[in-house]
Amino acid sequence: MESRAQILPGTLDLLILKAVSLGPLHGYGVLLRIGQISNGALVIEQGALYPALFRLVRKGWLKATWGVSENNQRAKFYELTAAGRKRLREEIEDWDRLVDAIAVVLKTRPEQL
Amino acid sequence: MQIVDKARLRLRSLFRRPNVDCELETELRFHLDQLIEEKISSGMPPEEARRAAQRTIGGTAQYQEECRDMRRVNFVEDLVQDVRYTIRSLAKGPGFTAVVIATLALGIGANIAIFTIVHGVLLRPLDYPKPDQLMYLTAEAPAAGGARSALSAPEYIEFRQMNRSFAEVGAYSTGGAAYTTGEVNLTARDRPLRVRSISVDAHLLKALGIRPEQGRFFTDEETARWTGTLPPPIAILSHELWRTAFGGRPLVGQKVEVEGRPHEIVGIMPPGTDVMDHHTQVWLPLWLHPNMARQREAHVLYVIARLKNGVTAKAAQTELSTFLENWGDRVGTRDHVPTKRAMRSVDHTLQLRSLQDAIVGNASRPIWVLQAAVGFVLLIVCANLANLVMARAGSRRREFVLRTALGASRGRLLRQSLTEGAVMSGAGGILGLWLASAGVRALIRAYPTSIPRTSELTIDLPVLLVALGLSTGTALLFGFVSLGRRRTSSMMTALKEGARAASGAWRHYARRGLVIAQVAFAVMLVIGAGLLVQTVYNLTRIDAGFDRSRLVTFSMTLPMANSEADTRARAYQRVLDRLRSVPGVLEAAAMSGLPPNRTPDAIATPIENYTSDDGKHVAIIDYYQFVMGDYFETMGIPIVAGRGFERTDNASQGKVVIVNETLAKRIWKGQNPIGHRLRPPGGSFGASDDVWHTVIGVAKDVRQRGVERPAGTELYVSLDQHGVSPPSMNVVMRTTLAPAALSRTIERVVREVDAAVPVVRLRDMDSVFAESIRRPKLLAQLLGAFAGLALLLAAIGTYGVLSYMVTERRREIGIQVALGATRSRVLTQIMKQGLQVTAIGVTIGLAGALAVNRLIASLLFGVQPTDTVTIAFVIATITAVAVVASWLPAWRASRLDPNVVLRDE
Repeated sequence: MESRAQILPGTLDLLILKAVSLGPLHGYGVLLRIGQISNGALVIEQGALYPALFRLVRKGWLKATWGVSENNQRAKFYELTAAGRKRLREEIEDWDRLVDAIAVVLKTRPEQL
Repeated sequence: MQIVDKARLRLRSLFRRPNVDCELETELRFHLDQLIEEKISSGMPPEEARRAAQRTIGGTAQYQEECRDMRRVNFVEDLVQDVRYTIRSLAKGPGFTAVVIATLALGIGANIAIFTIVHGVLLRPLDYPKPDQLMYLTAEAPAAGGARSALSAPEYIEFRQMNRSFAEVGAYSTGGAAYTTGEVNLTARDRPLRVRSISVDAHLLKALGIRPEQGRFFTDEETARWTGTLPPPIAILSHELWRTAFGGRPLVGQKVEVEGRPHEIVGIMPPGTDVMDHHTQVWLPLWLHPNMARQREAHVLYVIARLKNGVTAKAAQTELSTFLENWGDRVGTRDHVPTKRAMRSVDHTLQLRSLQDAIVGNASRPIWVLQAAVGFVLLIVCANLANLVMARAGSRRREFVLRTALGASRGRLLRQSLTEGAVMSGAGGILGLWLASAGVRALIRAYPTSIPRTSELTIDLPVLLVALGLSTGTALLFGFVSLGRRRTSSMMTALKEGARAASGAWRHYARRGLVIAQVAFAVMLVIGAGLLVQTVYNLTRIDAGFDRSRLVTFSMTLPMANSEADTRARAYQRVLDRLRSVPGVLEAAAMSGLPPNRTPDAIATPIENYTSDDGKHVAIIDYYQFVMGDYFETMGIPIVAGRGFERTDNASQGKVVIVNETLAKRIWKGQNPIGHRLRPPGGSFGASDDVWHTVIGVAKDVRQRGVERPAGTELYVSLDQHGVSPPSMNVVMRTTLAPAALSRTIERVVREVDAAVPVVRLRDMDSVFAESIRRPKLLAQLLGAFAGLALLLAAIGTYGVLSYMVTERRREIGIQVALGATRSRVLTQIMKQGLQVTAIGVTIGLAGALAVNRLIASLLFGVQPTDTVTIAFVIATITAVAVVASWLPAWRASRLDPNVVLRDE
């Protein structure tokens, strides 16, 4: 439990978009994939996932279609739209900028001032 | 594409909400199943796995709600919710709701009703093609009082030839030249009718630019160039008469009896066609007797002209005034021609005005006055509602604050209060519209001829738009007044204080200001109404010159076409004789023109030893009154000098006449008129030649054309002396019976004399009087009603503010009483507050009234706009109303039990 990182506010959309960009997924698959890629470091709460998915669909970044899961159950699959791809790029750039900036700040030593 | 998708989703959310929710549930169930499967595959027993999975995922309902919120359909959903909530909350306070909606309905209804009249009468163009090209030409004699009159036939023909501005100039007559009194007898399917007629020439119909619905119009050969001794026997029927009297069956080419002569119906007019608001039912060809066509003194033709395309009314006016400079030189005579500067009483000038102005005439000012009055009423209504809403917002403060605390956004609350406003003003508007349409209908029924163009009055699109605007305006007012209140409210204080609102000083002043404004407007309206009521009172008390009590009158016409002057005289004589023998009838007489509202004759009369301003021995006498029987006794007109007609006059050779005071004064200027001689044209009453008549007496002036107008010159000729009669006569009886009780007898008597002649306008003289003052009466009644409404609203406003103040200051008053203030002191203290507000309002209102009352000065009779009696009466009334309105809350305050009040706190 302690090894799990807190998801920063505002990064949930980024993570979902990234996860879906790797291939269409159902909601449960999104959770699995993020957990799997981050080696279990990032865990999304179910309570946040579905409203977020819904919001992303409404914004036109994700497209939802009904399909059949690996175990032959009806499930809703999400995939990235063109707008979603563009959004993902922007979010990644923003994230990189933020990380760089924070890294610079954190590495600053007194003599550099 | 995206937008379309989104819209689809939204629509789906709205209409197939269960479906969308169901999808979400399926998705979440799938999630749960996956979780369970995973746990089972990692070795958990199925039951435990299920429980564990459910624990992780939590309650699904919560997600569903969250997603639903996000969908935000919501404008519509919120609106539905708002409306529902509004209706629920309004139903909870039925008193408040009823007061608001009723007030709004009255305010909006009155405005729509009056605006319907403003729009239909004043603003809407006339129903002819290119109506702004139509002009109306009248003669005016400024030196003789400036009354508008018709043109003489030579003037009309000269103007037709001289002008270059008009495409067409036409003439009509409703009397005088038309050989009718604007009415004719018409037999429709064996039923004798009296219908309104107009005689027009071919040019007039061309000038108006109308086309017949069926058949044809008159030709020039049938009007101007007609050489017969009577007008050609042809007629055009109005669409309405054709439908009602002939059931709309094919009629063109067939004969219908008009004035006892078969007339061929050549055409049917389109629906609603009329000239000068005459309510025309039958159109006859205008034909002038050769004598009249030459006579310059006989002003008998009304002229309507259509401007050429591109010519302005101003250019036509300029052209007319150049004609007036030297009309005499242009036509080669100096004899009674129009002139630019009418100095002498015999001179006249010509005036052009737009046809619309001519039709609306002097009705426009009263209508605007009414519009202003209802505008004031609406302002008072709004002030009252603002007050009510403020009070209610105060008591609902806690509710709003609570909702804010629970997460309602400010926008959402504003929308809620706007919705409330919209629901109430919507209801008020619809109710008002209904009131207005019922009101306008009732008005037209009660006063069919007091307002011009009534046949065109409908609630049409512009009126509906105004109604919508008024409702929207009041709805916005509502919403923002409630909002303005809340802007200043701090959540914490409101919650702490509970329903009892903190009384911000500004709000206190705002509410008082509103009451002051209401009182001020009410004062202005009540003063206006008071002045008009007094005007009507003065008009009813005018001495018209005769005794109108117990007088019953009716009118009948023996058409000229199938009767001779002497047979007519005998027929009328028979009618009078038989009426005199009816029990209850004391006296009976007949006259040609019924005072106090008859058309002028303006007949040029040679007078012996008299020279007019322009050197002629002829005077134009305004009214000829041809009488039969003991006229002066029957009518109760006093003879002020000389004597009345006597039976012995009939046998004697010398013909005698009686003049009125005004004629005696104007012609003989203070000398004794008795013994002087005049020569009335015999043609005017059916005699074959003109003979000299000797003046034997002077009768007291009788008002002829409106009770409020000073009398003109009048000459009384006894028909009994000549044994002849004009076609139309008015019979008058002094009787103890009511017109209704007499109607059967009168109809039988007339039928025995001539079965084809209808009895028309059978009524008592009081109704004749009432009719002659009905327009001021209508104005006074409407203004009185609006003033009463204003007064009531101002009283409610005063009452509302004071009761609210008492509620707010309960604690303070309680302490005062506890500390020994007497009840009477509390009472006077509160009442003083109410009366103070009233006093300020009255002062402002008086100033306003003095500023605008000169606008209604022209509508008043016998009372000044600054009439002190009226003003004193109004102040007394308003003060009395204010005392009543303040007393109730003050009394309640004085009854407060300090124990109860202080424990409540």
